[in-house]
Amino acid sequence: MVHDDYKEMIPARALSALDAAEEQALNEHLENCAECRKDLEDWQATAATLSLTPDPAEPSPQVRERILSEARKDLSSKVIPIRTATKRNIWSSFGSLGAIAAVVLFAALSIGLAVLWRQNQKLQRSKEFVELVNTPGARVSELSGVDPGQRATAKLAYDRNGRAILMASKLPNVPQGKAYQLWFIVGNKPPVPGKTFVPDSAGNAVLKEEMPREAIDANVFAITVEPERGSNAPTSPIYLRSF
Amino acid sequence: MWLNPFLRRGPYISRLQPEDDVKLLKAIAARDEAALAQLYDRYRVILFGLLMRILNNREEAEDVLQEVFLQVWRKAEDFDENRGRPFTWLVTLGRSRGIDRLRTLAARDRVAEAGAREAVEEISDAATDAFKSEQRGLVSKALAQLPDEQKRPLMLAYFDGLTQSEIATRLGAPLGTVKTRMRTGLMNLREQLAGKGESFGF
Repeated sequence: MVHDDYKEMIPARALSALDAAEEQALNEHLENCAECRKDLEDWQATAATLSLTPDPAEPSPQVRERILSEARKDLSSKVIPIRTATKRNIWSSFGSLGAIAAVVLFAALSIGLAVLWRQNQKLQRSKEFVELVNTPGARVSELSGVDPGQRATAKLAYDRNGRAILMASKLPNVPQGKAYQLWFIVGNKPPVPGKTFVPDSAGNAVLKEEMPREAIDANVFAITVEPERGSNAPTSPIYLRSF
Repeated sequence: MWLNPFLRRGPYISRLQPEDDVKLLKAIAARDEAALAQLYDRYRVILFGLLMRILNNREEAEDVLQEVFLQVWRKAEDFDENRGRPFTWLVTLGRSRGIDRLRTLAARDRVAEAGAREAVEEISDAATDAFKSEQRGLVSKALAQLPDEQKRPLMLAYFDGLTQSEIATRLGAPLGTVKTRMRTGLMNLREQLAGKGESFGF
Protein backbone atom coordinates (compact mmCIF):
# COMPACT_ATOMS: atom_id res chain seq x y z
CA MET A 1 0.00 0.00 0.00
CA VAL A 2 1.12 3.53 -0.65
CA HIS A 3 0.66 6.75 1.26
CA ASP A 4 -2.53 7.68 -0.61
CA ASP A 5 -4.16 4.36 0.23
CA TYR A 6 -3.54 5.00 3.88
CA LYS A 7 -4.78 8.54 3.60
CA GLU A 8 -8.09 7.24 2.30
CA MET A 9 -8.49 5.03 5.36
CA ILE A 10 -8.11 7.84 7.86
CA PRO A 11 -11.72 9.07 8.05
CA ALA A 12 -12.86 5.53 8.89
CA ARG A 13 -10.07 5.27 11.44
CA ALA A 14 -11.35 8.47 13.07
CA LEU A 15 -14.68 6.65 13.49
CA SER A 16 -12.75 3.57 14.66
CA ALA A 17 -14.55 1.62 11.97
CA LEU A 18 -11.60 -0.04 10.27
CA ASP A 19 -11.37 -3.80 10.41
CA ALA A 20 -8.55 -5.05 12.60
CA ALA A 21 -6.03 -5.86 9.87
CA GLU A 22 -6.51 -2.51 8.16
CA GLU A 23 -6.27 -0.67 11.41
CA GLN A 24 -3.03 -2.38 12.27
CA ALA A 25 -1.55 -1.58 8.85
CA LEU A 26 -2.60 2.04 9.14
CA ASN A 27 -1.25 2.33 12.68
CA GLU A 28 2.13 1.18 11.49
CA HIS A 29 2.05 3.79 8.73
CA LEU A 30 1.01 6.47 11.23
CA GLU A 31 4.09 5.80 13.31
CA ASN A 32 6.20 7.09 10.45
CA CYS A 33 3.99 9.64 8.75
CA ALA A 34 3.48 13.00 10.40
CA GLU A 35 1.17 14.17 7.64
CA CYS A 36 -1.23 11.29 8.20
CA ARG A 37 -1.09 11.76 11.95
CA LYS A 38 -2.13 15.37 11.49
CA ASP A 39 -4.86 14.23 9.13
CA LEU A 40 -6.16 11.81 11.72
CA GLU A 41 -6.33 14.57 14.31
CA ASP A 42 -8.40 16.68 11.92
CA TRP A 43 -10.77 13.85 11.11
CA GLN A 44 -11.13 13.04 14.77
CA ALA A 45 -12.22 16.62 15.36
CA THR A 46 -14.89 16.18 12.70
CA ALA A 47 -16.02 12.83 14.10
CA ALA A 48 -16.20 14.34 17.58
CA THR A 49 -18.87 16.79 16.45
CA LEU A 50 -21.23 13.80 16.13
CA SER A 51 -21.20 13.60 19.91
CA LEU A 52 -23.28 16.76 19.99
CA THR A 53 -26.21 15.23 18.16
CA PRO A 54 -27.79 12.95 20.80
CA ASP A 55 -30.16 14.59 23.26
CA PRO A 56 -28.15 16.02 26.12
CA ALA A 57 -28.88 14.11 29.32
CA GLU A 58 -28.36 14.82 32.99
CA PRO A 59 -26.60 12.16 35.08
CA SER A 60 -27.65 11.80 38.70
CA PRO A 61 -25.81 14.05 41.17
CA GLN A 62 -24.23 11.01 42.84
CA VAL A 63 -21.95 10.53 39.82
CA ARG A 64 -20.30 13.87 40.49
CA GLU A 65 -19.85 13.00 44.15
CA ARG A 66 -18.39 9.62 43.34
CA ILE A 67 -15.91 11.08 40.87
CA LEU A 68 -14.72 13.74 43.27
CA SER A 69 -14.45 11.37 46.20
CA GLU A 70 -12.44 8.87 44.14
CA ALA A 71 -10.22 11.71 42.94
CA ARG A 72 -9.67 12.78 46.52
CA LYS A 73 -8.72 9.23 47.49
CA ASP A 74 -6.11 9.28 44.75
CA LEU A 75 -4.65 12.45 46.17
CA SER A 76 -4.21 10.98 49.62
CA SER A 77 -2.78 7.67 48.44
CA LYS A 78 -0.57 8.73 45.55
CA VAL A 79 3.15 8.75 45.80
CA ILE A 80 4.92 12.13 45.57
CA PRO A 81 4.30 13.60 42.13
CA ILE A 82 7.10 12.85 39.70
CA ARG A 83 7.81 16.46 38.93
CA THR A 84 8.57 17.24 42.55
CA ALA A 85 10.70 14.16 42.86
CA THR A 86 12.88 15.00 39.90
CA LYS A 87 13.90 18.31 41.37
CA ARG A 88 15.57 16.51 44.21
CA ASN A 89 18.17 13.89 43.72
CA ILE A 90 15.94 11.21 42.34
CA TRP A 91 18.12 8.36 43.44
CA SER A 92 17.94 9.40 47.04
CA SER A 93 14.16 9.65 46.91
CA PHE A 94 13.80 5.92 46.53
CA GLY A 95 14.27 5.42 50.25
CA SER A 96 10.77 6.64 50.97
CA LEU A 97 9.38 5.12 47.83
CA GLY A 98 10.84 1.78 48.76
CA ALA A 99 8.37 1.55 51.57
CA ILE A 100 5.53 1.62 49.13
CA ALA A 101 4.94 -1.53 47.18
CA ALA A 102 5.16 -1.14 43.42
CA VAL A 103 1.77 -0.42 42.02
CA VAL A 104 0.28 -3.47 40.38
CA LEU A 105 -1.92 -2.35 37.57
CA PHE A 106 -3.85 -5.31 36.36
CA ALA A 107 -6.70 -3.24 35.04
CA ALA A 108 -4.35 -0.96 33.17
CA LEU A 109 -2.52 -4.02 32.00
CA SER A 110 -5.45 -5.41 30.12
CA ILE A 111 -5.82 -2.16 28.23
CA GLY A 112 -2.09 -1.66 27.92
CA LEU A 113 -1.57 -5.17 26.67
CA ALA A 114 -4.00 -4.67 23.82
CA VAL A 115 -1.98 -1.67 22.73
CA LEU A 116 1.33 -3.40 23.23
CA TRP A 117 0.22 -6.47 21.33
CA ARG A 118 -0.65 -4.35 18.39
CA GLN A 119 2.48 -2.26 18.53
CA ASN A 120 4.87 -5.01 19.13
CA GLN A 121 5.77 -7.44 16.43
CA LYS A 122 7.58 -9.76 18.74
CA LEU A 123 4.58 -11.88 19.45
CA GLN A 124 6.52 -14.71 20.97
CA ARG A 125 7.84 -12.44 23.67
CA SER A 126 4.39 -10.99 24.18
CA LYS A 127 3.13 -14.51 24.79
CA GLU A 128 5.86 -15.11 27.30
CA PHE A 129 4.96 -11.84 28.93
CA VAL A 130 1.34 -12.92 29.30
CA GLU A 131 2.39 -16.33 30.59
CA LEU A 132 4.59 -14.70 33.13
CA VAL A 133 1.80 -12.37 34.23
CA ASN A 134 -0.43 -15.38 34.74
CA THR A 135 2.09 -17.15 36.94
CA PRO A 136 0.87 -17.21 40.54
CA GLY A 137 2.50 -14.42 42.52
CA ALA A 138 3.63 -12.55 39.40
CA ARG A 139 3.41 -8.79 39.44
CA VAL A 140 3.39 -6.07 36.87
CA SER A 141 4.88 -2.66 37.24
CA GLU A 142 4.22 0.19 34.88
CA LEU A 143 7.02 2.57 33.97
CA SER A 144 6.43 5.99 32.57
CA GLY A 145 8.38 9.05 31.60
CA VAL A 146 9.93 11.24 34.23
CA ASP A 147 9.34 14.21 31.97
CA PRO A 148 5.57 14.44 31.54
CA GLY A 149 5.97 15.26 27.85
CA GLN A 150 7.47 11.87 27.10
CA ARG A 151 5.38 9.36 25.26
CA ALA A 152 7.49 6.33 26.08
CA THR A 153 5.99 3.75 28.42
CA ALA A 154 6.98 0.30 29.58
CA LYS A 155 5.63 -2.57 31.58
CA LEU A 156 7.69 -4.97 33.59
CA ALA A 157 6.27 -8.34 34.56
CA TYR A 158 8.24 -10.31 37.15
CA ASP A 159 7.80 -13.22 39.50
CA ARG A 160 9.28 -14.35 42.79
CA ASN A 161 11.90 -16.43 41.04
CA GLY A 162 13.34 -13.38 39.38
CA ARG A 163 12.00 -14.05 35.91
CA ALA A 164 11.23 -10.70 34.35
CA ILE A 165 10.13 -9.39 30.98
CA LEU A 166 10.14 -5.76 30.04
CA MET A 167 8.02 -4.44 27.18
CA ALA A 168 8.60 -0.87 26.18
CA SER A 169 7.12 1.28 23.45
CA LYS A 170 7.63 4.70 21.90
CA LEU A 171 11.21 4.91 23.08
CA PRO A 172 13.31 7.46 21.21
CA ASN A 173 16.38 6.15 19.39
CA VAL A 174 19.56 6.20 21.39
CA PRO A 175 22.76 7.78 20.05
CA GLN A 176 25.43 5.55 18.54
CA GLY A 177 27.29 3.63 21.21
CA LYS A 178 24.51 4.09 23.78
CA ALA A 179 21.74 1.81 25.00
CA TYR A 180 18.93 1.80 27.50
CA GLN A 181 19.60 0.01 30.75
CA LEU A 182 17.16 -1.39 33.29
CA TRP A 183 17.73 -0.85 37.03
CA PHE A 184 16.26 -2.56 40.06
CA ILE A 185 15.91 -0.61 43.24
CA VAL A 186 15.49 -2.17 46.67
CA GLY A 187 14.75 0.28 49.45
CA ASN A 188 17.62 2.66 50.11
CA LYS A 189 20.26 0.53 48.45
CA PRO A 190 22.09 1.60 45.33
CA PRO A 191 20.33 0.59 42.11
CA VAL A 192 21.18 -2.92 40.89
CA PRO A 193 22.09 -2.93 37.20
CA GLY A 194 20.00 -4.96 34.74
CA LYS A 195 20.56 -5.67 31.07
CA THR A 196 20.94 -3.08 28.35
CA PHE A 197 18.76 -2.99 25.27
CA VAL A 198 18.18 -0.99 22.10
CA PRO A 199 14.66 -0.43 20.74
CA ASP A 200 13.74 -1.17 17.14
CA SER A 201 13.18 1.64 14.66
CA ALA A 202 9.57 2.04 15.81
CA GLY A 203 10.76 2.52 19.39
CA ASN A 204 9.57 -0.87 20.68
CA ALA A 205 11.67 -3.15 22.81
CA VAL A 206 11.20 -6.43 24.62
CA LEU A 207 13.77 -7.52 27.15
CA LYS A 208 13.93 -10.86 28.92
CA GLU A 209 15.74 -10.59 32.18
CA GLU A 210 16.76 -12.75 35.11
CA MET A 211 16.68 -10.42 38.05
CA PRO A 212 19.94 -10.51 40.02
CA ARG A 213 19.54 -12.29 43.36
CA GLU A 214 20.04 -9.08 45.32
CA ALA A 215 17.28 -7.44 43.26
CA ILE A 216 14.57 -10.03 43.89
CA ASP A 217 12.89 -7.73 46.39
CA ALA A 218 13.03 -4.68 44.15
CA ASN A 219 9.87 -2.70 44.03
CA VAL A 220 11.01 0.23 41.97
CA PHE A 221 12.30 -0.06 38.42
CA ALA A 222 13.97 2.55 36.30
CA ILE A 223 15.53 2.94 32.87
CA THR A 224 18.44 5.20 31.98
CA VAL A 225 20.59 5.76 28.91
CA GLU A 226 24.05 4.24 29.36
CA PRO A 227 27.06 3.26 27.29
CA GLU A 228 26.30 0.20 25.15
CA ARG A 229 27.98 -2.23 27.52
CA GLY A 230 26.03 -1.01 30.48
CA SER A 231 27.12 0.65 33.71
CA ASN A 232 27.44 -0.55 37.27
CA ALA A 233 25.79 2.59 38.55
CA PRO A 234 23.54 4.94 36.60
CA THR A 235 25.40 7.71 34.81
CA SER A 236 22.43 9.58 33.41
CA PRO A 237 19.11 10.88 34.74
CA ILE A 238 16.24 8.42 34.89
CA TYR A 239 14.33 8.21 31.66
CA LEU A 240 11.47 5.93 32.67
CA ARG A 241 10.55 4.68 36.10
CA SER A 242 7.81 2.95 38.02
CA PHE A 243 6.03 4.67 40.84
CA MET B 1 -1.49 21.74 45.84
CA TRP B 2 -1.18 24.32 43.14
CA LEU B 3 -4.33 26.34 42.66
CA ASN B 4 -4.96 28.23 39.51
CA PRO B 5 -6.36 31.59 40.59
CA PHE B 6 -8.29 31.78 37.32
CA LEU B 7 -10.26 28.70 38.31
CA ARG B 8 -10.99 29.95 41.78
CA ARG B 9 -12.75 33.04 40.56
CA GLY B 10 -16.20 32.01 41.59
CA PRO B 11 -19.24 30.59 39.95
CA TYR B 12 -19.02 28.48 36.88
CA ILE B 13 -18.80 30.49 33.69
CA SER B 14 -20.92 28.98 30.97
CA ARG B 15 -19.22 30.49 27.98
CA LEU B 16 -15.79 29.09 28.51
CA GLN B 17 -13.73 29.00 25.37
CA PRO B 18 -11.43 26.16 24.28
CA GLU B 19 -8.36 27.84 25.73
CA ASP B 20 -10.14 27.74 29.07
CA ASP B 21 -10.57 24.00 28.66
CA VAL B 22 -6.83 23.75 28.13
CA LYS B 23 -6.29 25.63 31.38
CA LEU B 24 -8.70 23.31 33.14
CA LEU B 25 -6.85 20.24 31.88
CA LYS B 26 -3.53 21.67 32.94
CA ALA B 27 -4.91 22.40 36.37
CA ILE B 28 -6.29 18.86 36.55
CA ALA B 29 -2.89 17.48 35.64
CA ALA B 30 -1.59 19.54 38.57
CA ARG B 31 -4.12 17.71 40.80
CA ASP B 32 -6.57 20.56 41.16
CA GLU B 33 -9.85 18.94 42.19
CA ALA B 34 -11.86 22.08 41.65
CA ALA B 35 -10.77 22.06 38.02
CA LEU B 36 -11.99 18.50 37.66
CA ALA B 37 -15.35 19.52 39.07
CA GLN B 38 -15.53 22.39 36.59
CA LEU B 39 -14.67 20.26 33.63
CA TYR B 40 -17.28 17.76 34.76
CA ASP B 41 -19.93 20.44 35.05
CA ARG B 42 -19.06 21.75 31.65
CA TYR B 43 -19.23 18.44 29.81
CA ARG B 44 -21.37 16.07 31.84
CA VAL B 45 -24.53 16.75 29.89
CA ILE B 46 -22.94 16.28 26.47
CA LEU B 47 -20.98 13.20 27.52
CA PHE B 48 -23.84 11.62 29.38
CA GLY B 49 -26.11 12.23 26.39
CA LEU B 50 -23.52 10.55 24.20
CA LEU B 51 -23.15 7.60 26.57
CA MET B 52 -26.91 7.20 26.87
CA ARG B 53 -27.15 7.16 23.10
CA ILE B 54 -24.46 4.47 22.90
CA LEU B 55 -25.49 2.33 25.87
CA ASN B 56 -29.19 3.07 26.24
CA ASN B 57 -28.92 2.26 29.92
CA ARG B 58 -28.70 4.82 32.68
CA GLU B 59 -26.74 2.80 35.15
CA GLU B 60 -24.12 1.70 32.63
CA ALA B 61 -23.85 5.21 31.19
CA GLU B 62 -23.30 6.70 34.64
CA ASP B 63 -20.71 4.11 35.43
CA VAL B 64 -18.80 4.82 32.22
CA LEU B 65 -19.11 8.57 32.79
CA GLN B 66 -17.44 8.13 36.16
CA GLU B 67 -14.73 5.99 34.59
CA VAL B 68 -14.10 8.62 31.93
CA PHE B 69 -13.66 11.47 34.38
CA LEU B 70 -11.43 9.42 36.63
CA GLN B 71 -9.32 8.64 33.61
CA VAL B 72 -9.20 12.36 32.85
CA TRP B 73 -8.09 12.94 36.43
CA ARG B 74 -5.36 10.36 36.19
CA LYS B 75 -4.26 11.00 32.62
CA ALA B 76 -4.80 14.71 32.09
CA GLU B 77 -1.09 15.16 31.45
CA ASP B 78 -1.46 12.98 28.33
CA PHE B 79 -3.51 15.72 26.73
CA ASP B 80 -1.39 17.59 24.19
CA GLU B 81 -2.86 20.86 23.02
CA ASN B 82 -0.81 20.72 19.83
CA ARG B 83 -2.57 17.55 18.81
CA GLY B 84 -6.17 18.61 19.06
CA ARG B 85 -8.66 20.39 21.21
CA PRO B 86 -9.83 19.44 24.68
CA PHE B 87 -13.35 18.87 23.41
CA THR B 88 -12.14 16.36 20.82
CA TRP B 89 -9.91 14.61 23.33
CA LEU B 90 -12.60 14.31 25.93
CA VAL B 91 -15.33 13.23 23.58
CA THR B 92 -13.08 10.72 21.83
CA LEU B 93 -12.17 9.25 25.20
CA GLY B 94 -15.80 9.14 26.31
CA ARG B 95 -17.01 7.61 23.12
CA SER B 96 -14.36 4.93 23.04
CA ARG B 97 -15.04 3.98 26.67
CA GLY B 98 -18.73 3.84 25.82
CA ILE B 99 -18.13 1.57 22.84
CA ASP B 100 -15.82 -0.63 24.93
CA ARG B 101 -18.59 -1.05 27.47
CA LEU B 102 -21.12 -1.71 24.73
CA ARG B 103 -18.95 -4.54 23.45
CA THR B 104 -18.48 -5.98 26.92
CA LEU B 105 -22.21 -5.95 27.43
CA ALA B 106 -22.84 -7.46 24.03
CA ALA B 107 -20.35 -10.17 24.88
CA ARG B 108 -22.43 -10.90 27.96
CA ASP B 109 -25.25 -11.58 25.59
CA ARG B 110 -27.26 -8.58 26.50
CA VAL B 111 -30.61 -8.43 24.80
CA ALA B 112 -30.92 -5.08 23.16
CA GLU B 113 -34.00 -3.24 24.26
CA ALA B 114 -34.30 -1.72 20.84
CA GLY B 115 -36.65 1.21 20.61
CA ALA B 116 -37.19 1.29 24.36
CA ARG B 117 -34.87 4.20 24.97
CA GLU B 118 -34.86 5.13 28.61
CA ALA B 119 -36.52 8.33 29.58
CA VAL B 120 -34.05 11.10 30.06
CA GLU B 121 -34.44 13.54 32.90
CA GLU B 122 -35.08 17.17 32.29
CA ILE B 123 -31.94 19.18 31.83
CA SER B 124 -31.45 21.89 34.40
CA ASP B 125 -30.95 25.38 33.03
CA ALA B 126 -27.60 25.66 34.71
CA ALA B 127 -26.31 22.77 32.64
CA THR B 128 -27.45 24.11 29.33
CA ASP B 129 -24.43 25.60 27.72
CA ALA B 130 -25.28 28.23 25.15
CA PHE B 131 -22.03 27.79 23.30
CA LYS B 132 -22.46 24.06 22.80
CA SER B 133 -26.16 24.17 22.01
CA GLU B 134 -25.38 26.53 19.18
CA GLN B 135 -22.82 24.07 17.87
CA ARG B 136 -25.28 21.26 18.34
CA GLY B 137 -27.74 23.02 16.07
CA LEU B 138 -25.07 23.43 13.43
CA VAL B 139 -24.07 19.76 13.49
CA SER B 140 -27.67 18.55 13.37
CA LYS B 141 -28.35 20.82 10.44
CA ALA B 142 -25.20 19.66 8.65
CA LEU B 143 -26.13 16.03 9.21
CA ALA B 144 -29.61 16.62 7.90
CA GLN B 145 -28.03 17.71 4.62
CA LEU B 146 -26.36 14.34 4.17
CA PRO B 147 -28.10 11.68 2.11
CA ASP B 148 -29.29 8.80 4.26
CA GLU B 149 -26.93 6.37 2.60
CA GLN B 150 -24.00 8.43 3.88
CA LYS B 151 -25.46 9.24 7.24
CA ARG B 152 -26.28 5.68 8.29
CA PRO B 153 -22.75 4.29 8.06
CA LEU B 154 -21.52 7.27 10.10
CA MET B 155 -24.12 6.69 12.81
CA LEU B 156 -23.57 2.94 12.94
CA ALA B 157 -19.85 3.44 13.30
CA TYR B 158 -19.93 6.28 15.79
CA PHE B 159 -22.76 5.26 18.10
CA ASP B 160 -22.92 1.50 17.66
CA GLY B 161 -19.20 0.92 17.29
CA LEU B 162 -19.58 -1.20 14.16
CA THR B 163 -16.69 -1.71 11.76
CA GLN B 164 -17.05 -1.20 8.04
CA SER B 165 -17.50 -4.94 7.44
CA GLU B 166 -20.16 -5.15 10.12
CA ILE B 167 -21.93 -2.16 8.63
CA ALA B 168 -21.82 -3.74 5.19
CA THR B 169 -23.46 -6.87 6.60
CA ARG B 170 -26.01 -4.88 8.54
CA LEU B 171 -26.99 -2.78 5.54
CA GLY B 172 -26.63 -5.56 3.00
CA ALA B 173 -24.32 -3.35 0.94
CA PRO B 174 -20.97 -4.21 -0.65
CA LEU B 175 -17.99 -3.38 1.58
CA GLY B 176 -16.46 -1.07 -1.04
CA THR B 177 -19.65 0.92 -1.22
CA VAL B 178 -19.82 1.29 2.55
CA LYS B 179 -16.22 2.50 2.64
CA THR B 180 -16.87 5.12 0.00
CA ARG B 181 -20.08 6.32 1.59
CA MET B 182 -18.56 6.58 5.03
CA ARG B 183 -15.64 8.60 3.75
CA THR B 184 -17.82 10.84 1.60
CA GLY B 185 -20.23 11.30 4.48
CA LEU B 186 -17.56 12.47 6.89
CA MET B 187 -16.04 14.72 4.22
CA ASN B 188 -19.41 16.28 3.54
CA LEU B 189 -19.98 16.80 7.23
CA ARG B 190 -16.66 18.57 7.51
CA GLU B 191 -17.43 20.76 4.52
CA GLN B 192 -20.84 21.66 5.86
CA LEU B 193 -19.28 22.69 9.15
CA ALA B 194 -16.31 24.50 7.66
CA GLY B 195 -16.58 28.25 7.80
CA LYS B 196 -19.10 28.01 10.64
CA GLY B 197 -16.79 29.85 12.92
CA GLU B 198 -13.71 28.55 14.60
CA SER B 199 -15.76 26.68 17.10
CA PHE B 200 -15.11 23.23 15.68
CA GLY B 201 -11.37 23.48 15.46
CA PHE B 202 -10.95 22.77 11.80
